[in-house]
Amino acid sequence: VTWRERRPNRTLGGAHDQFWQFCENRELRLQRCSDCAAFAWPPGDRCEQCGGLDLEWRPVAGTGKLQSWATFEKKYFDILPVPWDTILVELDEGPLLVSNPSDLSRDDMVVNMPVRVEFLDCEDDNGEFRLPVFRKRND
Amino acid sequence: VTRGFSKPSRDLSGKVAIVGVGETDYGKDYRAVRTRSADYVPPDAVSLADTAFNRAIADAGLRGQDIDGLSLCFMYERPDVNTVCDALGIQPQYVVADGTIMDDIVPPAVEALVSGKCNTIALVYAAASRAIGRVYGGNTYGQEGATPQSYYYYDPWGWTSQAAHWAFMFRYYQNIYGATEEDLASVALTLRRHASRNENAIMREPLTVEDYVNSRYIVRPLHLFDLCLVNDGGVCLILRRTDMARHLGHAPVEVAGWGHAKVSANKMHYMVRERLRPQFQEAGKQAFAMAGLRLSDVKHFQGYDASTIHLINQIEGYGFVEPGAGLEFCKSGQMDLDGALPVNTSGGMLSEAYMHGWNHVVEAVRQLRHEAGTRQVADLQTSMFSLATTESAHPLLLTRGTRGT
Repeated sequence: VTWRERRPNRTLGGAHDQFWQFCENRELRLQRCSDCAAFAWPPGDRCEQCGGLDLEWRPVAGTGKLQSWATFEKKYFDILPVPWDTILVELDEGPLLVSNPSDLSRDDMVVNMPVRVEFLDCEDDNGEFRLPVFRKRND
Repeated sequence: VTRGFSKPSRDLSGKVAIVGVGETDYGKDYRAVRTRSADYVPPDAVSLADTAFNRAIADAGLRGQDIDGLSLCFMYERPDVNTVCDALGIQPQYVVADGTIMDDIVPPAVEALVSGKCNTIALVYAAASRAIGRVYGGNTYGQEGATPQSYYYYDPWGWTSQAAHWAFMFRYYQNIYGATEEDLASVALTLRRHASRNENAIMREPLTVEDYVNSRYIVRPLHLFDLCLVNDGGVCLILRRTDMARHLGHAPVEVAGWGHAKVSANKMHYMVRERLRPQFQEAGKQAFAMAGLRLSDVKHFQGYDASTIHLINQIEGYGFVEPGAGLEFCKSGQMDLDGALPVNTSGGMLSEAYMHGWNHVVEAVRQLRHEAGTRQVADLQTSMFSLATTESAHPLLLTRGTRGT
């Protein structure tokens, strides 16, 4: 039996479902606009940059750099322990993702630290899912 | 300018003045809700609005029957308009009932007055945040489309709340400029010193760097004192055409200019790494062009201090100092009453009251009237108010008008 972390609910419906479907296969894909080539995150129905409606799900490398981090000491979610670490990662393709560190202490974090995605088995009120989180990359 | 917002126009500059201001008893009401004595009755938004309104018309030297326009901004409640009018005892011919100062409330009022929809308008704000137990994070935000996506989308990663936005900003700022938590403390300390001169402020006890450093973290690297208060209150502003305002009891405070800019894409980038500088620059340019003023004319600044770091974002973003120089500016006393740019002189949302920026406008009015008592900025002619969310900038330039015939 796989241990699944209980998490606050995802935003679901439409393009959001597709994102989580790719994550289920341990694949990080983001929408890219066919008109202006900009990546979109979070998922949406139209390109924020140019308004284009033709968004294509493209695999990204899953590598990036740590940009910022914050640790919750106040408890906002009953089901999550504090202190609770969060990070902001800039993917090599450009988008900034809010995520969690994996096996990485906040005391060891430095700006531009290289990181790589991995997927954590989780569940919320709507079922099981795999959550993209990031660990330090040594290459 | 984003569609739906009042376009800045040279023709509207100086045509309308703020002639009356009224506020509830922030400090007294805060202590009452904290103490919760046996006979305590939590305030409702309409009663808060009524108190502020009556004080504002008295301040203006007007009566209820003089008010023929009304713009309502209730943050967390939507009382029926007729109920509010009955409570205030007025029968306005022009009513806007869904305003929020967050979006655009003073500019449409100016347009309404100039175009003759009404002659004297009351802008009324009320929030019973603490009475209703409002929490600013967790599973409390609305559904998709109702609130910025950044307020709910990252829940599965446990990233939530206003504070988290500011925390990402300041951590990045620390990484780039080497600022420390003690540096940031200077913002909270400065505003607390201002609040000590304001009898209506909620937090007036002196604050030291030690108090700040020893206070609990909310979202690291931010401490309790980096984040604004949560309290109940109401504010009312009375506006009329400047040519009708010169014979009233106070110097009219003219609405000279405004601007608006909002992030349309890459919010996290603009928020964390740019700290909205492009938005402040663009909106500031609009406001100064409308007013025919320059940044160097501004001698008093009332910025949206939802967090200490966000106030610094505005000081740097509008160009008062270079990016990265804001905390040194504050530490060296330049935001003090006798500094180069006195900032949030009534204590701001960090120490006076969290009225979503409305109390900032009231303080700007008092300063421009030269009625701010022991915290008066000398010879003030131009003040700048700035509302700034996690994704938008809305400056408002106010100037001291002349009394007379």
